[in-house]
Amino acid sequence: MATTTATITISSTDLLSDELALTTSATLTQTGTATGVEDTTGLARAKVISTAKGTASGQVTLYTADDFAAIPYLYIKNLDTTAGNKIFIYDDTTSGDPLQFQLDAGDWGFIPMHGDKTYKAYATTNPTSIEFMVIGKDQ
Amino acid sequence: MATTATITLTSADIAGDPVNVSKTATCTKAGATTDLDQTTGLNRVHLRSTTNKVLLAANAEGNNLAAKVYIINKAEDPTLYVTITINAQTVGKLYGGDWMFFPWSQTDTAADIEVAATNWTSSTGDIPVEYALFHEDTDFLTNA
Repeated sequence: MATTTATITISSTDLLSDELALTTSATLTQTGTATGVEDTTGLARAKVISTAKGTASGQVTLYTADDFAAIPYLYIKNLDTTAGNKIFIYDDTTSGDPLQFQLDAGDWGFIPMHGDKTYKAYATTNPTSIEFMVIGKDQ
Repeated sequence: MATTATITLTSADIAGDPVNVSKTATCTKAGATTDLDQTTGLNRVHLRSTTNKVLLAANAEGNNLAAKVYIINKAEDPTLYVTITINAQTVGKLYGGDWMFFPWSQTDTAADIEVAATNWTSSTGDIPVEYALFHEDTDFLTNA
């Protein structure tokens, strides 16, 4: 059984009149158990070359529906450094391809997913580099 | 006025070589390098409803403005989970101890962040959830 830990630290010395220092860690486990997650896609790096969703080509598939048992954890980071060069993550399974998240340059997200939807990404600018990884239990 | 969010993902044994990912984002206004300057602070609610409740209400002015959301399920029972919904789409499920952090896209006023204690019963006890929003200049209402 593997042990995988996700830690977030949010900090600021000047957003508030007192220092902000929030840190929490989660040990990633299989659904509703204390058993650690076992599988990962590994950290991938890709260039998003599509600037639209739907039938256009060049989107990057971040996760394929039901590839992992619930709960798969998605980490994604927009590696672009120019503000406004966004990555758009949409649900390719649901009719209308609804937008789920958008990450501006430098943003990252960590999302424990429901796992039954395919997530793809397109970008404001072609190309935009991203890194992403899914951690969970393959099925 | 910089606020930073750092993620660290570590595992010594999930792959043949150790996994050690650490990345920091400086929380800035949309399409700019100006730092975010407002926050709701860290809120705590105790959920006792299996139906969706609004955790953060979307604002029409918020479309295309930057907002970063942190949510954690503080239940000690790992089987108790909350479902996170935006625009009637399930975007996350947090079991006890799990957290999520994401940029919030308020594409329209229906993009509220809603939360439900999906497997809550009167015998499980309340599910405590903490959340914080870091954002730029628009008003956000919380009524969870």
